Amino acid sequence: MTATSRNRQKKTTFRLLAPGVVWMILFLIAPIMMIVYVSFWTQTTFAINSTLTLDSWKNFFASEAYVGALWTTIRLWLIVLTLTFVIGYPAALYVGLMVKSKTISTVLLVLCVIPFWTSFLIRVLAWRPMLGKEGAINIILQKLGLIQTPIEVLLFSELSVIIGMTQIYVVFMVGPIAFMLGRIDHNIIEAARDLGAGFGRIFWKIIFPLSLPGVVVGAIFVSVMVLGEFATSGALSGRKVNLLGNIIVTQVGSLKWAMASVVGVILTILLGIVVAGFLRIVDLKREI
Amino acid sequence: MTQRDPIFRLEGVTRRYGNLTALDGIDFVAEDNAYIALLGPSGSGKTSLLRVIAGFETPDAGRIWFQGRDITDLPAHERGIGFVFQNFALFPHLTVFENVAFGLRHGAQALPKDEIAERVKSSIEMVGLAGLEDRSPEQISGGQKQRVALARSLVMQPKLVLLDEPLGALDANLRERMQVELRAIRERLDVTFLHVTGSETEALAMGDKVAVLDAGRIVQYDTPDTIYDGPVVSDVAKFLNRFNLFEGILENGIFTGPFGAVPVTNPRQNKSDTYAIRYDRTQIFDAGDANLPGPALPARFLASEYLGSSIIFLFETEDQKTVEVDHHLSLGEPRPLTVGENYTLSWNPEHAIVFGKETAR
Repeated sequence: MTATSRNRQKKTTFRLLAPGVVWMILFLIAPIMMIVYVSFWTQTTFAINSTLTLDSWKNFFASEAYVGALWTTIRLWLIVLTLTFVIGYPAALYVGLMVKSKTISTVLLVLCVIPFWTSFLIRVLAWRPMLGKEGAINIILQKLGLIQTPIEVLLFSELSVIIGMTQIYVVFMVGPIAFMLGRIDHNIIEAARDLGAGFGRIFWKIIFPLSLPGVVVGAIFVSVMVLGEFATSGALSGRKVNLLGNIIVTQVGSLKWAMASVVGVILTILLGIVVAGFLRIVDLKREI
Repeated sequence: MTQRDPIFRLEGVTRRYGNLTALDGIDFVAEDNAYIALLGPSGSGKTSLLRVIAGFETPDAGRIWFQGRDITDLPAHERGIGFVFQNFALFPHLTVFENVAFGLRHGAQALPKDEIAERVKSSIEMVGLAGLEDRSPEQISGGQKQRVALARSLVMQPKLVLLDEPLGALDANLRERMQVELRAIRERLDVTFLHVTGSETEALAMGDKVAVLDAGRIVQYDTPDTIYDGPVVSDVAKFLNRFNLFEGILENGIFTGPFGAVPVTNPRQNKSDTYAIRYDRTQIFDAGDANLPGPALPARFLASEYLGSSIIFLFETEDQKTVEVDHHLSLGEPRPLTVGENYTLSWNPEHAIVFGKETAR
């Protein structure tokens, strides 16, 4: 390749990349830089000015409530992630691998998506009449005589937030895993059987490793959404469970921009670590 | 070869998919330590048969015997029968070494590590892949993948290996080399290969014996030369792609076809009346030549195909049927022919094979 043609190719590459790069700078990089900048501003009760200070950061780490929210967020994220995986993987295994017909597996995946045709808030709030003290679950259990007094811990607790989030986000785990499982050549599984491997061995040595990229993509989807959550915890915990997202909402609501920015930066860093960690497990570029 | 127990035996094996009968009561006995080619057109049920023997599918009726044992109800992973897939079906996330070692590591009996390493190594060497152990399947060529798939099966030391169109995914050059190698590898081991193919040349070239499958039945099982020289039914002759076949009427030992009425001897039982003459037994004469060895078939010369060792001449008869004449160049230069001219084709009637509804007297 001559120098001129290489130069021309470079120019073409640059031109093709330019719109995307400009977009990302304007609407992703610049806002993030703004948030980082604002997190160092000086906040007084009714005003904010651009004098740089570490006060908001110090306040965050000094406050038990804020640090507690960070740990609650991490704990809920891990629980919900585990549950979506434990519930989602068998479902994906069925949809992606066990169902032989492509049509039926598509229909099943669409069925998983149907709840998304209703609004997010309705899906969350619909759990209230289900889980409440006089909700469907308690009524049924009482009618069956399994319990005497209603189970109160079902609603307005961490449990209800976990139930709600798991139900809403499990489909983001099922989709990518089912997709990866659907791409597995059935001959490979038969070849493993022919070589004398039983179902357990085939699952752990062939099926699971080949579906791992789907698990990672699903885990990233779920993590990104759960870590930034505020609506489910707001609606189902009765304000008892505070996540980093809830703190941002209240801080912005009371015009405390600097503290909201601090929490935003911490959340962004946390997300970055989580996503980077998942991407280390599998080389997605090679798989997709 | 000494006579031993059959390696496997099929008894009335039947497999249906809804209304479609893929295998129609197949009875088959395979010799030990042989290369058996299973030849059939697409849709003849050859892949179904292989999958039933391997245990990936259960027959609707019939029994399968392997090394004197009824394995019909045994799951695939307990059968100990090797299977080489057409698309190789290598484990994409494992290296060549791990692919070959898979059966030894995760199979029925646990083997010590160094024995696994040794057997894998010798298996990889046997198929000529030494040095590629650490490559992943996407880093090797099609022919090498084929060898890995073969090594992966052979390392288990099976007594029977089923090969499902193993050369189908390779280019022509490689295919011929692998044909020779597959035979050589098999001869070194005490193992029976059942090689499924849709190519008649491949089947005749490779099999010690060839089984011809048609519409879910084995219509002929014999040595390649017997099949080549004496197909038992017209469908086999048609499928061998080496015969000019003429439809006609066989009555009282007289076959009436496009070349007139000729007396025939020993017609073979068949569902239609068909007269077959091999391409290389058909000869070309001038139109009106009176000195013919047998029946006279008027035909117009269309074109010729040069194949290196022989030339194929294509003719068209009056009823628009294409007739081929194979002239081997070791017999001397062919006579010059003019495209569009009429000639007479003839042959020695002793070489013809006649199939008829009328049984031989």
